[in-house]
Amino acid sequence: MRPVIKLFGLMALLLVGRFALAQPLTIDITKGIEGSGIPITIASFGGGAPEDIAGIVAADLQRTGKIAPQPAGSQADYSVTGQAQPGGSRGYLVRFQLAGAQGAPLLNLSFDVPPNQLRPVAHRISDLIYEKLTGEKGLAGTRIAYIASGGGSWYLVVADADGQNPRVILRSSQPIMSPAWSPDGGKLAYVSFEGRRPQIIVQDVYSGARRVVSAAPGINGAPSWAPNGQRLAFTLSKDGNPEIYALDLATQSPIRLTNGSAIDTEPVWLPDGSIVFTSDRGGSPQLYRIGPGGGAAQRLTFEGDYNARPTVSPDGRHIAMVHRRGGRFYIAVLDLQTRQFRVLTSGGLDESPSFAPNGKMIIYSNGQRLTAVSLDGRVKQDFALRGNGRDPVWAPYGR
Amino acid sequence: MQNIIRNLIAAAALALMAGCASTGDTTGEEQTADQQDATAEQGITAQPGQDAYSYPYGQAPSQYDTFDTTGGATASGGQAVQAVASSGGAVSADRIIYFGFDSSEIPSESQAVISANARALTGNARIVTQLEGHTDERGSREYNIALGERRANAVRQAMIATGVSPQQIRIVSYGEERPAAAGQSEQSYALNRRVEIVY
Repeated sequence: MRPVIKLFGLMALLLVGRFALAQPLTIDITKGIEGSGIPITIASFGGGAPEDIAGIVAADLQRTGKIAPQPAGSQADYSVTGQAQPGGSRGYLVRFQLAGAQGAPLLNLSFDVPPNQLRPVAHRISDLIYEKLTGEKGLAGTRIAYIASGGGSWYLVVADADGQNPRVILRSSQPIMSPAWSPDGGKLAYVSFEGRRPQIIVQDVYSGARRVVSAAPGINGAPSWAPNGQRLAFTLSKDGNPEIYALDLATQSPIRLTNGSAIDTEPVWLPDGSIVFTSDRGGSPQLYRIGPGGGAAQRLTFEGDYNARPTVSPDGRHIAMVHRRGGRFYIAVLDLQTRQFRVLTSGGLDESPSFAPNGKMIIYSNGQRLTAVSLDGRVKQDFALRGNGRDPVWAPYGR
Repeated sequence: MQNIIRNLIAAAALALMAGCASTGDTTGEEQTADQQDATAEQGITAQPGQDAYSYPYGQAPSQYDTFDTTGGATASGGQAVQAVASSGGAVSADRIIYFGFDSSEIPSESQAVISANARALTGNARIVTQLEGHTDERGSREYNIALGERRANAVRQAMIATGVSPQQIRIVSYGEERPAAAGQSEQSYALNRRVEIVY
């Protein structure tokens, strides 16, 4: 059951400047572990609530790849029992218990909720169990945003992390792309082609209010929020070719951070304020890093002839990206501490990676649908969406 | 052909639905106009005949059309190239320049297309054209926006070289967002790597 690890060999690199320190190792993890995880039984919740809470919890835990719900009647180290019945001050009283090997109680909680909060409560229970058993923060209560299209319309959709409860917060007759969550989870920046030209728009998720942030001639693309939520980096080509800009949202004055004849695009911020972006200044698209105010760029990627669309883990240690080799596109990850470069997916048309807020999973599009892979490549996860989905972004834990 | 007709019917039906919706469905629109914060601009959401409607999360519809434009039909039906219903309408072949993989070099066989359109532009200085750059679906979406713009710029330069005024040319890149052909075949990809000359 161990992952298949292929060493692609050590590659001594001719590096520039102060990056001449690493001999990156390429490891391909092409197979995950299936059917493994901590065994748990989850009894059906009695009480007649309109949602199958036990079913939602089982699906949430199954999806983590680290906890394995067992069929009813089987033996397991851990067991969950619960009830959801009319009562309490808001409509439903939901109780659940998590017990260990000899029936020792580990969790015993109750929630007083209105009927429309039964699904969120089920996700909350999943996260409480997951955190108790693994020590990691769970993702069941988080959300994703993605773009769907069909029949001449484009949709910006916000859904729960299990793909359920989709909400179309923007519908357009022109393309929408590159959604990006603000660090507090309250806003989405995106590119909209309404009026048949690209603009960067910031939309308040809860009020629906929109604000045009950039509508310069040429490309207005790839918005990315600074960690403090007060600045946006993006791409403009108003001066002839695509360059990286940073905009202070309060003062509205964009500052240009790159300058050259190459394509510079897809900026993302690291926690220290520096910016990683895609550039073809070396002849093929690769990732580079500049300081908060621009300046000399350091090349970060050297594997293959195409590394683009960086995304940064919440702790700033890992950069996931789109990686091409042999004509196929993969999701790969670079560890900025060890310089290790790993390919995580089996490849094809993989694109648009985005880290989950716990840094453990990466959601992406494989060209047909949304899927996710764990940072170690072991866990794969599919999203049960209606229809197509692309450009996925995992929401932060939020307020 | 059947596919094209089916797509056109689907597009027409959706346009009808959208038409109905925009009268009864102004909740989101008015909400956004009423609840804007001090920094929000009103222009975009208030345009008549607007393209986009936003909704507050709590009132956002859960239904959306999922007519698959990503090649699902091709996956089950072999290599047939399927036309995509494009809201922009079909551009005739004498206004399209096709490109090689990863290339923004104008093929020699497309010079005639550029010359003919350049003549039309130099013949009437009041005509303005929009050059729309496109790529196939492979690779990063935003990087493809940049590649599509590079293709449109190559056509722009070629037109300017034959005497067209830069003021008569506008550029927009859609990257891989508006494919001309669905499906994941080399044939579809070749049809999608293009610049459309739109008047």
